[in-house]
Amino acid sequence: MRNATSALMNARPGRGRRMLLRLAIATGFNLACALTITYLIHMGGSFIENLVFSLCIGTLAWLFIDGGRMLVWGEDKPAGLPFLVMTVLALLLAQMGGTALAAWLLGMPAHPVLPTESSHAASILLFSVLAGLSATWFFWNRGKLAFLQAQAEAEKARVAEIEKQAMQAQLQMLQAQIEPHMLFNTLANLQGLIASDPPRAQLLLEQLIAWLRATLKSSRAAATTLAEEFNLMDAYLGLMAIRMGERLAYRLDLPAPLAGVRIAPMLLQPLLENAIRHGLEPKIDGGRLDVSAAREGACLVLTVRDTGLGLDAPASHGTGLGLENIRERLRALYGAGASLTLANGAPCGTVATITIPLP
Amino acid sequence: MNPTAPRALIAEDEPVLAQALAQALARLWPALQVAASVTNGVAAVEQTLALQPDVLFLDIRMPGRSGLEAAELLAEDWPDGQPFPLVVFVTAYDDYALQAFDQSAADYVLKPVSDARLAKTVARLQARLAQPAARGDALEQVLGQLRALAPAPAGGAPRLTVIRAAVGNQVRLIRVSDVIYFEATDKYVNVVTADSESLIRMSLRELQDQLDPAQFWQIHRGTVVAIDQVSAAVRDDSGRLRLTLRGRSETLPVSRVFAHLFKQM
Repeated sequence: MRNATSALMNARPGRGRRMLLRLAIATGFNLACALTITYLIHMGGSFIENLVFSLCIGTLAWLFIDGGRMLVWGEDKPAGLPFLVMTVLALLLAQMGGTALAAWLLGMPAHPVLPTESSHAASILLFSVLAGLSATWFFWNRGKLAFLQAQAEAEKARVAEIEKQAMQAQLQMLQAQIEPHMLFNTLANLQGLIASDPPRAQLLLEQLIAWLRATLKSSRAAATTLAEEFNLMDAYLGLMAIRMGERLAYRLDLPAPLAGVRIAPMLLQPLLENAIRHGLEPKIDGGRLDVSAAREGACLVLTVRDTGLGLDAPASHGTGLGLENIRERLRALYGAGASLTLANGAPCGTVATITIPLP
Repeated sequence: MNPTAPRALIAEDEPVLAQALAQALARLWPALQVAASVTNGVAAVEQTLALQPDVLFLDIRMPGRSGLEAAELLAEDWPDGQPFPLVVFVTAYDDYALQAFDQSAADYVLKPVSDARLAKTVARLQARLAQPAARGDALEQVLGQLRALAPAPAGGAPRLTVIRAAVGNQVRLIRVSDVIYFEATDKYVNVVTADSESLIRMSLRELQDQLDPAQFWQIHRGTVVAIDQVSAAVRDDSGRLRLTLRGRSETLPVSRVFAHLFKQM
C-alpha cells in the first residue's frame, strides 16, 4: 500500500520540475499583481517599477513558502495551522526583503517598509499580504487536488494488486484441482462403476459435472456467495466420498442466514483440498471432515476441521504457497482484521479457521 | 479350488477401483484367484508376506506406504528361497513415475485401466509364470527397478557443514564430518557421532539432499552412513549383509536394494 503510493509519487514528474512549474505559476501571478497595481487600483509608480517590486516580493514569498514547505514537510501534505503561521511570517519577510531588493535594483532610495511610516506603504503591505495569501490558497487547493489524485491512483493500484492475487489464486487452484491425478482417478472410478453399478456411475458423473462447472465458474467470478461456495465443496466432497468409500465422512454446515453473504471465491476450497490431500487421504483409516460457517460478533468465521494426520505429519510435496496466497488475499481484500490460522485439532487432525470482518 | 492356480493380491485404496481391477482380471484371466484385496501400503506388505501371492498389483499412491515403499520393504524382508511375486504397479497420471517405469522396464498399468493394456500385461505375466526358471529373477528385477525409481537427490540444496540439534534447553552443534551415521526413527533422525547421539526433527530424505553423496551412502531405507567410517561388509548367518564400523561395536544392516554397493571390485 505504502509502496504503491511512493511508487506513484516517483512516477510523477520530478521534484525539481514540479517546483519550477510552481515558480512559473507564481511569476504569472506576480505579473497580474503588477498590472492590477498599475492600471486597476492606481497605487502609483510605472508598470515597470511595479513589476520589479511585484516580482521581487512575489518570488521571495514563493521561495520562502514553497522552500519552507519542502524543508519541513517534504512531499507530504503540510499541517494546516503551522503552515498558515509559516506563510504569514514568510509573507512579511518577503515584503521587507523584496521591497529592499527591488529598490536596490531600480536605484531608488530605500523604500519605507513599515506601515507606520506612510499610508502608501501600509496599502502596499496590505496588498502584498492579501496577494500572498490568495496565491498560497491557490497552491494549497492545487496541492490538495494532487493529493486526492494520488490517493485515487493508489486505490486503483490496490485494486489491481487484489486482482492480480485473485488471478494467481485462480491459476493455482485450477492447477491444483483439475490436476491430472485427481481427474484420471475420478474417471477410473467412473469407468469401474459403469460396469458394476450404473446408478452410482450416473451420480458420480453428475458430481463431476457439478464440480467442474462450479470450479470453472467460481474461478472466473470476483465474488460469490457462501451458498455457492458450499455447493462447490459439496460436489467436490461427493466425488471424494465415492472415491475414498468408507474412509471419508463429511458434513457441511451453513446456517441459512449466512447463505447470501458475499465472499471472495477460492478461500475455502484450497483449505478443503489440503485437508483431504495432506490430512485424510494419506491416513490409513481416513476420517471425517467438517466445514462450517458462523457469525461471531462482527466477524464471519469459516472453519475446516479434519481428523487426519495433523500438522506434524511429514509434509508431502506441499510448499505452503497456497496458504500464503490465501493470507495475502485476505489482507488485500479485508485488511488487517481478517486472518487465517492453522492449529492441530483435538485429539487429532487439523483445524483451519478464516476470520473475516462482516460489513 | 485348484491348488496350482495362480494367486494375486490387489493393493488399491479406492474401493471402486479395486473392484474394477478384480472384475477385469476375472474377465481376462479366469484362472487367477484374487487371494486378498487390501487398501493401504502397510496391509499390502503384511498380506503379501503372509499369503505369498504369485502376482502383486500395487497402487503407487496409497495411505500408510506408497506402492514403491511397499515394494522396497517386501524386497528387504522377503524370505530366501521363496519366489518373489511378479509386481505390477498401478498408477493414475504421474508423469515423473511413468518415465522412470519405462526406463526401469517395470510392469505398470494406468488408471483408468483399459482391457487391451491389461490383456497385454496378463499375457506377459502368464508367460513368466509358465517358466519357473524366470521366477528366480523376479526379486533381482524388482530391486533393479527400485534402484532406478529411487528419486535422485534434489541437488541445488546447500551442503550442510554443521548440524544443529536441540538437546534439553541447549542447541548442540555437530560437525557433519564427525557424523558416523544417520538413522531414521519414527519422526526423527538420530545423529550418531563417536561420543554423542542427538535427535533432529527432519526426514532422512530431506537431510540426504544436503549431504555429500560421495561421503554419505544410503545403505538402508532408514540408514545413511559416512562411508569412510565403514571397515567391512559381512554376511551374517541368515545371509544378510551388515557393515562393521571403525571403533564401534554395533553393525548396520544393508538392505537388498543397496547390497550391490558392497560387491567386491
